[in-house]
Amino acid sequence: MTRAGTNWSGWCVALLAAAVVGMGHARGETAVAPSQEQELIAVIRSETPESEKALAFKNLAIHGSPACVEAVATYLGNERLASWARITLEAIPGGEASAALRSASETLSGRLLVGAINSLGVRRDAAALPLLEKRLGDPDATIAVAAAAALGKIGTPAAAAALSKALAAGKPDRDAVAESCVVCGEHLLAAGDAPAAVKLFDAVRRADVSEQRQVEATRAVILARGKDGIPLLVELLRSPSQRLFNMGLFTARQLAAGPDRDAALAYEVDLALLKSLSGTGETTLAAQRKPLVIDLLADRNAGGAAKAVQQAILEAAASGEPALRLAAIRAIGRCGDAASADGLLGTAAGADAAVVPAIREAIATMTADGVDERMVAGLTDADASVLPLVIGLVGDRRIGAATAKVLPLVDHSDPAVRSAALAALGSIVELGDIDVLIKKAASPRDDAEAAAAATALKEAAVRMPDRDACAARIAAAIAAAGPRAGVLIETLADVGGSKALAAVATAAKSGDPSLADVSTRVLGKWMTADAAPVLLELATTDAAGPYRGRAMKGYLRIARQFALPESERAEMCQKALAAAKDPADRKAIIEILVRYPHPATLAVAKDAIAMPDISDEAKAAVTAIEAKLPPPAGGK
Amino acid sequence: MDASRRLRRRTFLGGGLAAGAAVAAPMVIPSSALGLDGATPPSERVRVAGIGIGRRGEYDLGCFLQQPDVQFVAICDVKEARRQAVKGIADKHHGTTECRTYRDYRELLDQQDVDAVLIATGPNWHGLMAMLAAKAGKDVYCEKPCTKNIAESLLLRDTMRRCGTVFQAGTQRRNLPHFAFACELARTGRLGRITRVYAHPAGMKAFSSGWLPEEPAPDPAVADWDMYLGPAAWRPFNSKTLADGFNFEKGGGLVGGGVLEWGSHCVDLCQWAVNDCLPPTDYAPPVEDQIVCRYAGGAELVFREKDWIPLGSCPVRFEGETGWVEAGDSGKIVLSSPELMAGRKVEEIGGYPATFHVRDFLDCCKTRGKPKGNADAACNAHIACHAANIALFLGRPVKLDTESWQFVNDEAANRLRSESLREPWRL
Repeated sequence: MTRAGTNWSGWCVALLAAAVVGMGHARGETAVAPSQEQELIAVIRSETPESEKALAFKNLAIHGSPACVEAVATYLGNERLASWARITLEAIPGGEASAALRSASETLSGRLLVGAINSLGVRRDAAALPLLEKRLGDPDATIAVAAAAALGKIGTPAAAAALSKALAAGKPDRDAVAESCVVCGEHLLAAGDAPAAVKLFDAVRRADVSEQRQVEATRAVILARGKDGIPLLVELLRSPSQRLFNMGLFTARQLAAGPDRDAALAYEVDLALLKSLSGTGETTLAAQRKPLVIDLLADRNAGGAAKAVQQAILEAAASGEPALRLAAIRAIGRCGDAASADGLLGTAAGADAAVVPAIREAIATMTADGVDERMVAGLTDADASVLPLVIGLVGDRRIGAATAKVLPLVDHSDPAVRSAALAALGSIVELGDIDVLIKKAASPRDDAEAAAAATALKEAAVRMPDRDACAARIAAAIAAAGPRAGVLIETLADVGGSKALAAVATAAKSGDPSLADVSTRVLGKWMTADAAPVLLELATTDAAGPYRGRAMKGYLRIARQFALPESERAEMCQKALAAAKDPADRKAIIEILVRYPHPATLAVAKDAIAMPDISDEAKAAVTAIEAKLPPPAGGK
Repeated sequence: MDASRRLRRRTFLGGGLAAGAAVAAPMVIPSSALGLDGATPPSERVRVAGIGIGRRGEYDLGCFLQQPDVQFVAICDVKEARRQAVKGIADKHHGTTECRTYRDYRELLDQQDVDAVLIATGPNWHGLMAMLAAKAGKDVYCEKPCTKNIAESLLLRDTMRRCGTVFQAGTQRRNLPHFAFACELARTGRLGRITRVYAHPAGMKAFSSGWLPEEPAPDPAVADWDMYLGPAAWRPFNSKTLADGFNFEKGGGLVGGGVLEWGSHCVDLCQWAVNDCLPPTDYAPPVEDQIVCRYAGGAELVFREKDWIPLGSCPVRFEGETGWVEAGDSGKIVLSSPELMAGRKVEEIGGYPATFHVRDFLDCCKTRGKPKGNADAACNAHIACHAANIALFLGRPVKLDTESWQFVNDEAANRLRSESLREPWRL
């Protein structure tokens, strides 16, 4: 045996990725030139390091022909390189590789024999069947189990017969054989032999095997039987075993499910599931399982269930235990139609506090046609007790077409309706109708309405495509808003843009202390740098009354935090140094200069040395900035 | 042979060292419906065990431990230090000393008090361990990439179906609001007929794990090299390889790299955008940093290295006939038109946390529903990555028949569909 030793540079053989292209095999033939294959064979026959041989095995796996099999197979007994050799042998088509593996299986033992058997299984080598059947009786259980697994993969009627026999005998390991039986049955089923598959699955179900193997076989037999498997499916759901019940839920998500399902069979399955919900006596499904079955029905019918299914779920949504009821409500949201949405609304009347939000969430997310129209209709014909819910859903579903109907409801006699209408308008109103919200925010009838209107106005204002037009409408209402003007100014800050900024600046300089207060506060948090000149003006004049200091801090915030051209930042700092009186502000300016080292900020810092109150800080800043700047060109 | 087309030793070895309504956080089944109000009764707890918990796994573990209905009961790792470290985390969290430790996964899978496993081993183990756990009756949360090749992807899907397993691939972006919203826009026709979906591969090189110089192997009780290798083809012990579990044998040791590493995230989202349909049928090799793949319906999946809007890592872009959307790990999305928002709010959660994904998994463990990163979806997304990698590796177009799962008239490509496992392991 050769060893790579410690010289990993020895692994220099490249994979022949380009062989196909390089040799002009444009249609994907795998062959390399015989001489190249011979070179690779020579490598594995030589005393070259193992690492190079490993690479040769990989190359041969992709490009080798039966010609290399004999040389490769000599490594099946090599504990270090057998796994590499089997990479080649599993990949090469044709009988030669299989024959080599079968031949080796006659002489190998232990793990290496298991490896060879595994490869025969991967290759689905039917010729290995006698050999494998014999190995089922091997005294080494790992070998016998490997043989069973290989037979399962081969999956022919003869393999099934061998496995059935072993299963009945309980040798070598009944559970492992059972696993192979199910795999084998799947192959038979895929080949069109459903009766043989079902027979094998049933044999496992009857055998003394673990519950996991039982559930696998049961699932398989249900799916293989189709309609005839439904009773067994229901049996699983009623089983006292949690594992069997779990498999029932899992299997029901696969039986006649998905876009290509057999609609008639799917309906049969759904009806059986519904029946399991409503059974009595011994057929009653445990209460804690019912919500899970409802959830399953929704999964099976996502996007639209049959009428009878919807009706049954709706009934569960209207009554029953809380957990079942909530599950049913959620299910309607996923598989109900417009009529079911109406039905859910009907159940909302008088429902407790936990149920109404669930109903709202369910209807809000329904994708069925006609739900929006039902909600719009509900604005005029819904029971008064559920009208706020309907209005809320109009907002949740963003039904812009309902705006005209919702607008008058802001003056409804019921406070809950008024509040819901304001919130919905926040989600649906367009610019042309936003004045309704501005008016309510500026002149609310009480504090509750004030809060609702403020929230709605903000929701609406920030989503307006033309924010300047929106800002103009809000700004126009400030003068008449009296004590509520602050809400409008805060909304302008959320909207942003040049019109909003100008309106807030005007308010700040209006001479009204309360307006100056709120305006300088929002300007101090403004999200764009164009607020800087406004803030500097407010900081250097008496326009904002007592808020000059706040304006300066807002100005410095922009200089400190915003992405700006450094020359512009330096200029801001220079202006701030000229205007700022507060010692803390003046030191803060120097800190900004240090934070952004640049020739322009350096120049400002040097100028500041002449200012006695901050001279020391400026000198330190100059030193710090110069240390961070590259030396001048030509300097030392 | 064109020498430049060869996969040379440097790349073959290099893989082992390569770096590798309002839309809010996803709705889950309300706790009240599951009996989760207040303290979680034992009957409602999900008893979780970890297998191979390194750096990424420890993050996942933290997400699990945040959930009130999780009881972390056992850890299996080939490294003693990791076993003790994870036991310490779990015991400290639960205020007990009961977290059990195992070196051999088979002992752990035999435990009847384990409902689900978190698999965060090296990628060489992911798919096989997931299948072994499923056969043992456990539900599975498995880090990605979940499979090494096409055949393993299909077997993973079939095994999860057969065993009735709730499987969640570690593709946590499916449970983040902005990615979900972007995919929803594509799936529901808001962008018009989908013409192209873009994924970021983060590197288009084919990698394989290497063969480093042999060193004296440690005591298996400290670090079990044989178990570490697991189904990977044999190599001599080397401490660097042992330390590099995250990258070891990605893509079957042949064609891993960014197409699979990032692809299993980005392509997964693209697959969701096209309604988790079957993977593309036609795959072209890279041209100007793009791998273009075509679905049977005509839409294209494009692995693209550059020209992304800077929205963070793992960007995706979905283009339809009337609009487009782009999203990334910053939590932000960019739309062709603000009208696509239609007044909706999308919660911006940056940093791709897995918390919501874990919660989705745990809820499905109880309902037996399909989590977002289910095995069917993971299978399709991984196959798209593997097939693209094969086109990349072969340097020419390949065509995949998505019924037979064979490449059409292309034996070299078909030989890359699967790879033998080291004895005694099998799929």
